[in-house]
Amino acid sequence: MEPLSWTGSVGVFLNPLLGIAAAIFAILVIAQMVMSLFAAPVTLQSNADGTLVARAGALGTVENLLRYLVFALVLIVLAYIITGIVLPYGQTGILGAMSKRFLPIWVALILTFGLSMMFKRKLGLYGKLFDSTIGMIGFGLVMFWVYTAIFSALFGWIETFDPLGQPSDLFIAKAMKNAFPGAVFGTGTEGTFPHYLLGGDTLARDIFSRMVAGSAIVIQIAPLATLFAFMVGITLGLPAGYFKGRLDTLLSFLANLILAFPVILLFYLLVTPEIVDTGIPSFMAVVLFVFPIVFFAVLLNSRYHTQPKVRTPLLIVVLGALGWLYLSLVSQDGTVLHFMPGGLDLFDVPPGILVVFVSVVFVNAPTVFRIVRSLTLELSTRDYVAAAQTRGEGSWYIMLWEILPNARGPLIVDFCLRIGYTTILLGTLGFFGLGLPPESPDWGSTINAGRKLLSQFPHGALAPALALLSLVLGLNLLADGLREESLKD
Amino acid sequence: MTETYDGPLLEIDRLSISFFTRLREIPAVMDFSAKIMPGEALGLVGESGCGKSTVALGVMQDLGVNGRIVGGSIKFKGRDLCTMTPEELRKVRGKEIAMIYQEPMASLNPAMKIGRQLAEVPMIHEGISEAEAMQRALEVVTDVKLPDPARILGSYPHQLSGGQQQRIVIAMALMSKPSLLILDEPTTALDVTVEAAVVELVKDLGKKYGTSMLFISHNLGLILDTCDRICVMYSGEAVERGSIEDVFDKMRHPYTQALFRSIPLPGANKNDRPLISIPGNFPLPHERPKGCNFGPRCDYFEAGRCDAQDIPMSLIDGDDRHQTRCLRQDEIDWKAPIAKAITKTKGEIGPVVLKIDNLKKYYEVAANALFGGGDKKVVKANETLSFEARESETLAIVGESGCGKSTFAKVLMGLETATSGTILVDNREIQSTAIQDRTTKDVADIQMVFQNPFDTLNPSMTVGRQIMRALEIFKYGKNDAERRDKMLRLLDVVKLPRAFADRMPRQLSGGQKQRVGIARAFAGGARIVVADEPVSALDVSVQAAVTDLLMEIQREQKTTLLFISHDLSIVRYLSDRVMVMYLGHVVELGSTDQVFQPPYHPYTEALLSAVPIADTSVQKKHIVLEGDIPSAMNPPSGCPFQTRCRWKSKVPNNLCETTVPEQVTLAPGHQIKCHLSDADLDSMEPVITIAAE
Repeated sequence: MEPLSWTGSVGVFLNPLLGIAAAIFAILVIAQMVMSLFAAPVTLQSNADGTLVARAGALGTVENLLRYLVFALVLIVLAYIITGIVLPYGQTGILGAMSKRFLPIWVALILTFGLSMMFKRKLGLYGKLFDSTIGMIGFGLVMFWVYTAIFSALFGWIETFDPLGQPSDLFIAKAMKNAFPGAVFGTGTEGTFPHYLLGGDTLARDIFSRMVAGSAIVIQIAPLATLFAFMVGITLGLPAGYFKGRLDTLLSFLANLILAFPVILLFYLLVTPEIVDTGIPSFMAVVLFVFPIVFFAVLLNSRYHTQPKVRTPLLIVVLGALGWLYLSLVSQDGTVLHFMPGGLDLFDVPPGILVVFVSVVFVNAPTVFRIVRSLTLELSTRDYVAAAQTRGEGSWYIMLWEILPNARGPLIVDFCLRIGYTTILLGTLGFFGLGLPPESPDWGSTINAGRKLLSQFPHGALAPALALLSLVLGLNLLADGLREESLKD
Repeated sequence: MTETYDGPLLEIDRLSISFFTRLREIPAVMDFSAKIMPGEALGLVGESGCGKSTVALGVMQDLGVNGRIVGGSIKFKGRDLCTMTPEELRKVRGKEIAMIYQEPMASLNPAMKIGRQLAEVPMIHEGISEAEAMQRALEVVTDVKLPDPARILGSYPHQLSGGQQQRIVIAMALMSKPSLLILDEPTTALDVTVEAAVVELVKDLGKKYGTSMLFISHNLGLILDTCDRICVMYSGEAVERGSIEDVFDKMRHPYTQALFRSIPLPGANKNDRPLISIPGNFPLPHERPKGCNFGPRCDYFEAGRCDAQDIPMSLIDGDDRHQTRCLRQDEIDWKAPIAKAITKTKGEIGPVVLKIDNLKKYYEVAANALFGGGDKKVVKANETLSFEARESETLAIVGESGCGKSTFAKVLMGLETATSGTILVDNREIQSTAIQDRTTKDVADIQMVFQNPFDTLNPSMTVGRQIMRALEIFKYGKNDAERRDKMLRLLDVVKLPRAFADRMPRQLSGGQKQRVGIARAFAGGARIVVADEPVSALDVSVQAAVTDLLMEIQREQKTTLLFISHDLSIVRYLSDRVMVMYLGHVVELGSTDQVFQPPYHPYTEALLSAVPIADTSVQKKHIVLEGDIPSAMNPPSGCPFQTRCRWKSKVPNNLCETTVPEQVTLAPGHQIKCHLSDADLDSMEPVITIAAE
């Protein structure tokens, strides 16, 4: 077996093509910038059919050329992916092999986009996202990693090797240690996947598989932790903004206090074994995780309290289920809080993950609190709030059903951005080795592991770093697109 | 055009302006022509969305990135503005054409002192020195009749009241002595008496500086007061234009006629001569009908003719440049009396439902917000309110901002509790029961209709859901099916199609939203409804319909209606009794006839004279109040109105400045709070007189 090159045989055509296109593109972008300094201001002119006339002259030509070049560049990138899928393994290099590995994801993405585009007028804000190029790119990047996480965690379809295990054969292990991308695994005939696509790390584990497995950790923790932070922020921010006065002063002060504390120091403190032994993280979990229950209890009660026949069973079912989940989550083996009998305890979260979760919620909630509070302050002056007050609605109904739904636009945008921050935060935690076990394939830990040999073997740190970058970039673009589209109506 | 070119200042010829979106071109103004001679004032009227502001922006060549002039020309002093370079335009804007916008605070830079902002204008356009510019600023500020000009120049915009700010904006526009002034609804954000003073000022300045004006407004009365010529716009087109007298008295377009019939003029009365609203809705720009845009709503519509081709403007013989965009102008009998509407019998006024006695509401405001300590100031929002309201009676509460009418509404609704005094509903005291402690019936009995239609409905809940929620809260019906049924019947009552139940509020027009608001207020069979300026934010043609609806529901349900408004025309039209408030005091209370006839309280007199009336046969006395409404934080001593009262000198011993006047009963049911002697009161002349036909 031969080691794989980056692009294989198709690269012979595609690489020069890509190079030329990219070079022309760069030159034209510079030319456009220079020319636009001297160009006349744009005046909108319309054709007979109502479309706008394009800009004339040399600058207009450059603008048109650039448009075609972007199209060409996209086509070339697509060519890499498609040839990788279509041509047999090995001919299309590492990129082709990865693209073949990602086949289920391509299918899922095409289905998602196709269906969404088809029904986009019926899908509200989500559908409007497909009017914005930026939003679509962001959504594509995010969904790429979401599908990667799902397919690898549920079916193990994507990774090529065990992300945690080292090769059992000592010779192979030695050969694969810090192996370069495309290196042959053993002789390539062991019945396993023949290559380490993105090389091996210091412990001879497959970087590609670790990167893919790492996505599952991020996609599991980041949105969920952000959701909890939102529950806490909303449940406290609404009354602070609605009642104002002392309550607001107190809660805002607490929020400022938490925000003033150095985040990294806080994390170090929370994971210190002595602190864990005192049970502080567990007690924090008890407090922080109770907010979703409060939120849903108040939400449903305020809506249905006029109809006890509906309200009571509904609350019993919802609160029962949530309460059980809460107790299972809070009661942990090996911590001070262990009160649930084994049969009733539904699950145990690894203690490290729980600490990470608690810390992320703890530092994110105050910012969410501030946003919700300011939105509430603004929305509570509206006439529909006054109308609800004059018909004698309770305060919580007004907050949760009259104010909150109308604050959803900025909150959804912030949610996307905040998942991005949380992802970075998780990377930081992993990088400092806080919370997660040392062999964990999460991106922060792998970047840290690869950092030590960065000058000789950059691929170990680069692959997870690029993965992290693309996910956060996708989330930010998605937030941008959502913001842009939610403003139009 | 046959007339000779005698140098019009602004000449707009067949102007068309479109906005371009991703989906389509939206024509905002079509085939619009106008001419303003030097020193002439042209009024531009129309409902919101008819394109009047777009015309103004077109003249300023400030249409934004997706607006464009697609046809015609705008000539200013003979030069076409559309072909000017940006540099040439900059020289014209601000120097030769100045614009005054609706919201004064938005036109002033909050971080710059007034003096500097004013001085900037001539410094940029004429390059004069700062000292000279400041000198001119001082002159202009004196011209706009602001007290203490030197102090004003040294203050920041937020330190001035709304009326003062608008005067500064006018001063800024006049700084470089422009030849054309564009005013885009300059007084909409101001109170009536302040509005009257600003309008007076604009008129005087126009004469003094010889400035031509393009005055944009939806208020026909204001146009009558200020302009020489008028142009009525509908859905992007000018439909009629001519001199004020011709258009007001000899209108030749059905839309103009319908517009005049839908506003309450002194002769109108809710029972014998109700307002006639224009049927149907304003067409969306991309859904305009073929032919005459007003066709589908027109009484004189003739199929096959009015909808056959585009209709040009045509001259009316005998009048001075009076044109109309109506094919049938010669066939319609314009003098025909209004088709006799069904005379409605007035509801019998029943027993007293609501009795307010000596109600006071004070707020304590800490002088130091941060530490809460220190001196406490007392804001007297309501001072000794006493009145009764009866079943199926309409009591109008009239007053300008800060007079305490909203505070009273809050206390009545239970959102605030009274400081002292009593509110009796069916002889039960409710003044100190907050809304949470009231019984469902009490809450359902007293309901409110809000002012701003765009704010009154929750944007993220369907219309039906919102009405059903009110029914749930008022404990109506056993299950959702019963409530849904009742909700649909409520929609019938407010004359909305049942299909609206599943619509979101953003799919409804302003008038439709207001109807939903009314349906929601009446969901629990309300007996007392507080309507807080329910129609003031609506277009005139819709106002009539919504007002009529309220009256009709009142007649059927014998509701007591407390109608809060500052628009005396509509108050005169629909109310049985009127209560005039000023700075928390009831200054006059009486039946509508008593309040609208002398003797008046001096404030009522000023209010009546300030309201613009769109009728050329009405003669009004001109009473312009000096200054602004004092702040409730720091009310004047003695009579609250003494600072602006023109009768003050008639009262001996400086009584007005020292003692709060007692309530005096002039006639049965007519009370007034004034020190004036009976002889002085009797000497008052009516403010509004209708000239004999």
